[in-house]
Amino acid sequence: MDFATLLQLLINGLVLGVIYALIAIGLALIFGVIEIVNFAHGELYMLGAVAAYFLTMNLGIGFWASIALVTIGAFGVGIVLYELLLAPLAGQGFERSILLTLGLSMVLQNGAMFLLTSTPRLETTPYSYRFLVLGDARVPLLRLFALILALVAFGAVYVTLHHTRTGKAMRGVAQNRAAALMVGIDPRAAARLAVAIGVGLSGLAGAALAPVYSVHPVMGFAFVFKAFAVIIIGGLGNILGAAISAVSLGIVESIAGGFLPPAFVDAIAFIAMILILLLRPQGLFGRGVRV
Amino acid sequence: MSARAGHILAGAGALAVLATLPLWGGTPYGLELGITAATFTVLSTGLNLVYGYTGLLSFAQVAFFGIGGYTSALLSHDAGWPVFAGALVGGVLALLLGLVIGYTSLRLSRHAFAIVSLSFALLCLIISRDWVSLTRGPMGVPGLIAPTLQLPGLGRIGFDRPAVFYWLMLSYAVLVVAATHRLVRSRIGRAFIAIKLNQPLAESQGIDPLRHRLLAIGVSALTSGIAGGFYVFHLTIVDPSIFDFYYTETMLIMVIVGGPGSFWGVVVASLAFTAIPDMLRFSHDLRMVLYGAILIGAMLAFPRGVGGWAAQRRLVRLRRPILA
Repeated sequence: MDFATLLQLLINGLVLGVIYALIAIGLALIFGVIEIVNFAHGELYMLGAVAAYFLTMNLGIGFWASIALVTIGAFGVGIVLYELLLAPLAGQGFERSILLTLGLSMVLQNGAMFLLTSTPRLETTPYSYRFLVLGDARVPLLRLFALILALVAFGAVYVTLHHTRTGKAMRGVAQNRAAALMVGIDPRAAARLAVAIGVGLSGLAGAALAPVYSVHPVMGFAFVFKAFAVIIIGGLGNILGAAISAVSLGIVESIAGGFLPPAFVDAIAFIAMILILLLRPQGLFGRGVRV
Repeated sequence: MSARAGHILAGAGALAVLATLPLWGGTPYGLELGITAATFTVLSTGLNLVYGYTGLLSFAQVAFFGIGGYTSALLSHDAGWPVFAGALVGGVLALLLGLVIGYTSLRLSRHAFAIVSLSFALLCLIISRDWVSLTRGPMGVPGLIAPTLQLPGLGRIGFDRPAVFYWLMLSYAVLVVAATHRLVRSRIGRAFIAIKLNQPLAESQGIDPLRHRLLAIGVSALTSGIAGGFYVFHLTIVDPSIFDFYYTETMLIMVIVGGPGSFWGVVVASLAFTAIPDMLRFSHDLRMVLYGAILIGAMLAFPRGVGGWAAQRRLVRLRRPILA
């Protein structure tokens, strides 16, 4: 394999990995703060893509404006989701929250199937089919934008968690709920914000990727499968671990895709997860609810 | 008549009604529903054993079902094995894989088990679709012929007749339900419940949670795998849709509404949830939307299902003061 091909695979992998990270960070954040694994995360990503598709293709709103609108909308959906469905479950058991979010995912996915049918749609933008040429490698502009948006979003989440009072309060709740309550942090407000940010990130991913991948009701399925593996590999509830694992997984998958048949590429995440569980059950970057 | 005799009578009556289905409802449609109901009873009883009794939420049941289906289909179609041997090997393979994912993930937590079992089910779907040289890819293995048995004295039994296949699935379901019932009412079954209710307390009494949970996973994997090994010969084809998430969601609805940990509640829910939605003729998408809404509602208001609600009512009645 020559250098140019390898470089191309590396760039593709980096973009793919950062997209995994966008989904996985939201999952890890929600799990870290309220110990709920959100099974509807993939469907929220799908909703973001569907919303972006209709905003641009039917209402004629521009690509960047659609991303902003969808992200803000998803943030709001996160608040509603928390207040309506997740808050009543507080501390009521892990399985119950999984089944509840699974029910939500069934409603969203099959509802979308009923309303939109399973026909794939592709959002077209002024940037479609245009590339940035780097030596011998070519990066599609839309993927580059997704990469940049994801990095900005991740930076924003990191700064919020480590350098603002609100973010520190969220980390406090994640570390020790009772202690956080004792020093005057409202766990419900922190949880609401965590869910809103997590859902907002999946909406952002959906809107940014609507012109890259085809938009259809089951588009979230494959991504979420990888994202679950990523949060186990990175250590349940560990956001930085999830991000690093996601990017590594994307790069490994992309390079392996140059040699191996697709079945084995999709199996990498699962095999890595099983190996991690066997050799280092707390995850690569330490277990525990560390945001 | 004692309550126990009443239960036995009711069970025998229900069994008689089910066994004579080909005589009073032997239309192709009725038999189709019967075969589906028997299959789902096996699957949801297995899920109830794992989730209802030992408290592990498993998404891998559909994977065991599909692995059994693919194994028996490939063994009989490609290697010329008898169907029953193929189904048994499929069940054993599912059992072994169940132990692998159970052992690896339960070392961390039951949370990890839930996620790993889900990933495992999705991985099976992807492998069946993409490993074309083994599984034939999305086209699947068509043309599976149901077996015929040459029994001395009884002549030839052709399972390609829907009524006979129905009796096969019904007998298998009755066998699985009876065996599982014995298991959950035994000392081991009480240990399952103890682990679910309070794991540290159970451990302090000398119960090993890992071994008991692996036993529950293994038993349910074996029964689901064999069920899959039979069922594909009814479908006459096995393709990646055998791993469809639809099976998982339907099983979960049956267990949740029937009441996790209430044995007969889940069996009744399996029959009801096969028959009712089909008779209402909902489109597939709308049915799954409805199932999802039921799941959300049950989790918010009714977490122990109908079976749990009935048990609660009974407790309240028993605790009522005698001289009111």
